[in-house]
Amino acid sequence: MKTTQRILGTLLALAMLLSGAAFAESAESYPDIEYWFTNEGFLPAEVGGAYYNLTKETIGVGVYMPYVDWNGGQTYREQLALRVAANDTPDIFIYNNGIENSLILDGAALDLTDYLPEYMPHVWNAIPASVWETVRANDPTGQGRIWTIPDVTTFTRHGAYIRTDWLEAVGKEMPTTQEEFVDVLRAFKEKDPNGNGAADEIPAGGRMEARWMDYLFAQYGVAMYEGYPEWDVYDGEITYSAVTPNMKAALGFVASLYKEGLLDPETLLNSSGDWSGKFDSNVVGVYYHIPWVAYQRLQGIYDYTSGAVKAQVANLPQISAEGYEGFITVKPTGNSGKMVSADVAKDEQLMKAAFRVLDCQYNMEYRDLEYGVEGMHHEVVDGKKVKLPEDKATQELLILQTPGCQVENVEVITSRLEAVRTEENSWQIDESIALLNGNQADGRVIASDGMPSTVYEGYEDIQNRTLYVEYVSKIITGEYSLDKFDEFVERWYKNGGQAVTDRVREWYAGKK
Amino acid sequence: MVMKNQNRIRESAGDRGFSAAILVFLILFAILMAVPMVAELAVSLSSKIASQTGSIGLLPVGFTFASWEFMLRNASLWTSFLISVASTALVVVISLLINSMMAYPLSKKRFGPARAVLLLVVFTMIFKAPTIPYFLALRGYGLYNSFWAMVVPQVISAYNLLVMRSFFQSFPQEIEEAAEIDGCGKFRMFFRIVLPSSKAVIATVGLFYGVGAWNQYATPLMMIQDTALFPLQLKIHQLVNAASGDIAAAVKVSTANYTNDTLGAAAVIFSMIPVLILYPFVQKYFAKGAMLGSVKG
Amino acid sequence: MSHQNLKNVELMTWAAPHTIRAEVRSDMQSSRTREEAGRRLVRHFREFWPYYAMILPGLVFLVLIKYVPMAGSVIAFQNFSLRKGIAGSPWAGLEHFRKLLDYDDFHRVFRNTLVLGALKTILIFPVPILLALMLNEVRNALAKKSIQTVITIPHFISWVIVGGLTFDVLGAGGLLNQIRGAVGLETILPMQKSAWFRPVYVFTSIWKESGWGTVVYLAAISGIDPGLYESASIDGASRLQKMFRITFPMILPTAVTLFLINIGSFLDLGFDQVFNLYTPMTYDVADIFDTYVYRSGIQQGKYSFSTAVGLFQSVIGLILVVIFNRLSRKVSEDGGLW
Repeated sequence: MKTTQRILGTLLALAMLLSGAAFAESAESYPDIEYWFTNEGFLPAEVGGAYYNLTKETIGVGVYMPYVDWNGGQTYREQLALRVAANDTPDIFIYNNGIENSLILDGAALDLTDYLPEYMPHVWNAIPASVWETVRANDPTGQGRIWTIPDVTTFTRHGAYIRTDWLEAVGKEMPTTQEEFVDVLRAFKEKDPNGNGAADEIPAGGRMEARWMDYLFAQYGVAMYEGYPEWDVYDGEITYSAVTPNMKAALGFVASLYKEGLLDPETLLNSSGDWSGKFDSNVVGVYYHIPWVAYQRLQGIYDYTSGAVKAQVANLPQISAEGYEGFITVKPTGNSGKMVSADVAKDEQLMKAAFRVLDCQYNMEYRDLEYGVEGMHHEVVDGKKVKLPEDKATQELLILQTPGCQVENVEVITSRLEAVRTEENSWQIDESIALLNGNQADGRVIASDGMPSTVYEGYEDIQNRTLYVEYVSKIITGEYSLDKFDEFVERWYKNGGQAVTDRVREWYAGKK
Repeated sequence: MVMKNQNRIRESAGDRGFSAAILVFLILFAILMAVPMVAELAVSLSSKIASQTGSIGLLPVGFTFASWEFMLRNASLWTSFLISVASTALVVVISLLINSMMAYPLSKKRFGPARAVLLLVVFTMIFKAPTIPYFLALRGYGLYNSFWAMVVPQVISAYNLLVMRSFFQSFPQEIEEAAEIDGCGKFRMFFRIVLPSSKAVIATVGLFYGVGAWNQYATPLMMIQDTALFPLQLKIHQLVNAASGDIAAAVKVSTANYTNDTLGAAAVIFSMIPVLILYPFVQKYFAKGAMLGSVKG
Repeated sequence: MSHQNLKNVELMTWAAPHTIRAEVRSDMQSSRTREEAGRRLVRHFREFWPYYAMILPGLVFLVLIKYVPMAGSVIAFQNFSLRKGIAGSPWAGLEHFRKLLDYDDFHRVFRNTLVLGALKTILIFPVPILLALMLNEVRNALAKKSIQTVITIPHFISWVIVGGLTFDVLGAGGLLNQIRGAVGLETILPMQKSAWFRPVYVFTSIWKESGWGTVVYLAAISGIDPGLYESASIDGASRLQKMFRITFPMILPTAVTLFLINIGSFLDLGFDQVFNLYTPMTYDVADIFDTYVYRSGIQQGKYSFSTAVGLFQSVIGLILVVIFNRLSRKVSEDGGLW
């Protein structure tokens, strides 16, 4: 009978929602806002629920979201598309993977340009003016309007780290040149740095589709973001890094490492879990990821070895191959962010409620929202809020997350790391913070930052780099010789690469 | 395994060898089929670190009930379980009725329009509706966030209809003709004579519809956003996701001793159990001569 | 009714030519006056109205659930916009079909789809029939039931998991390489070798679905009159002979129906399996329409293009089904899907 009650309750809530206007108490109370965010398994924050009540009390607007599977963004995007098609767009939603452009062109998004300074001053001020400039320049309608509030990263997010306890074990210094680097990898392979007597060490590696080993390509100045080649200036012209001579040189290098067994033989078969699992198994020497979440990996090694190994890691300096300049690709204007449904403009109160929610997210006054509901997400110890361990069976989704988290910088990340520090993981957090600070100088903002994905319109196979991953995988494994790279470049240009390049160059010229 | 010779007529040595060879082959085949299931069971009972490092074979490593506990203590799992049971039962009953009624006339050569209708049926098997129009149509019928979204779209499938028709085609015509001479009408013929003698195909098609309804994911995913109405498969996806959150930037503490893989393995086994329990009962209807036995009786 | 009679009746059902329908039809065509046609129509409805009544509910559902949404396939000829809907989206003619045909690797995708479709039809389709025939020979009821249950289990495991297990078994530390290592062979990585993809495809297909596929054949076998076997035994037929002379012909009609259904989805191989088994190194033999459209259409929100590719596959499926249905009816008038 409990089921029936729940169903009835939900139906009632829905009915109330539909007739929301009739229930509005006074002009000052805001209507509820349906806000779609990433949810990977938390309970939904439904109308009348604990989190909904918290937002209503704290900022005056009830925020809710049904359960929508994230599934790497794929299921989320499909579900969002269905709601848009049914003229039932959520009031606020996050976007990624280029869906924002078609939504904007379709008229599903609200033009925020004129509202930002007045109604969302905290958003307006939190995001650097240069990013707003980029957003305007990338308006797919070409009118220089602001339709999106992008996630902003103003620091070097990625990087490689190396087991310094292994360096010590094999008696090597931190490598700073390519030659030294290869030398260290060889030592890792041959000298049993994990000391288990088996030659099970994997000096370095990456994942399927030649992803997550950007630092190897970057030694040749290849702009790359989590395995996706990026557009940057080469020979004075903005070019797809995958078709540059830099890429060919980098591939020659990576293929030689693979051939020599210095890369994981399964590099091009590894899933995300496979690869991190190998690191956790205490057999991997160099790992490329988001260095400041290294504490999770360190915990993995600690658990795997039943507490015997407290792994020591440090940033691997960005190495430059001879004649090239290495760097870590930085893209401040994210490919994701938030949008407001065009439909909220039909109801002024609803629109104001949506703006209020967004503004409060960037207002440090409401910072405590990140701690969620007392008893569910946090407890109060000595008058101080302490986060409870994550438990998706009992915790509702924190839709508004950390206020200010959408503008990520070293300080914000550091405070988030501090928030999860415990006695047991303190050494891991220290290492993570050191990694975060250690490679900030290696990053460089690439020329195509914020480039709209509309440049790929009609050339989806160029966008999803099918041809690239096929050739690159085969060249690395040695199935194709390096000469095949030229064939790839030729085919890439022929099959839409040229058209896309023309668009990108036109966009870049307009930006400057 | 010892072979029991139950046949009244003596079997030749060749026959016995033949039977034994087949049995041995089938047992090996069944083991091959069962091994991954055993592996999944092991994964579901293993620790987080064992799963992360991929060190699990056919036996659990770092034995723990963490995954099962996480899943089973989730109260809404059982709500979803009941929703799936209810929708599956409804689908089986409704679809069997609708399908058998439709398949029977289509098996009659004397019924002229049968071919045209069959072509319509075949057409739906080959041409599939695009997702968005499908969603909008069902939503237009009022199925959005409705329990019936798990029933209505499942009640007819061309595949099952055609299978059923092919069985009705082989129904002994002589019996029908005899009944017709006795003045038996078409409804009576179908409900009183044909249907009771078709237990095997009813069991088969019922099983197909039941399993289809039990495992359905795509349509509820589209149609149901209210977690109070989630069928088991949606709930399981939600639970399995509970260990993900490898959104790179997520900074969090987690004391959980499970991963997506261990939860997924537990979920696979959990959702399979009801089917494995019910299937042997369905098999009863495949016993030799089930169909004709009832005709004679 | 004696067994002998029943046997004759059953066999006749498949062999005897049925001309009644044809007569009715030619009569109708040759009727000269409208009245006569009208009278025939009245007579037809008076006789067959129960059939119409029985078909109606199914037909209504078929229209509502299948045909109404299917009409949405017109978006293949539009540039579909989520907000504007089918009514408001601009027309694009055959642009999306042209794009498909112009795709640089179209021939590769087409060839791969055909090859896998053929493998599915020739190597994978018959396996459940053989299994059912074998299961039918198991006399021990408990053994039979157990085997029958166990071999259906893989049907309930999703391709994501099967794919993961396949990568594990064929990985560097997997079972295959352990065996190879034990006999002194070097480690190989089949999942990144094109030559291995098709065998892996066939094997995993058989592994996952052949057990489940036996269900319908076992049901068909259960309909066979035991008297047929008894009289054959009296005639001294061996097990093997009975299997091929009685059991197999009796389930053939079911097999033909399933074969034709299978042909209808010849190019529709199921996205999940290939997607979870392929890698960029095996694209050259593994990239099929379903994976291509996933990358280029679905993932990118290109609804019109995805629908166009789907229509293309369906039209080919329809052509194949029409051809094979005709062939099948030539062999036996009862043998077609329609």
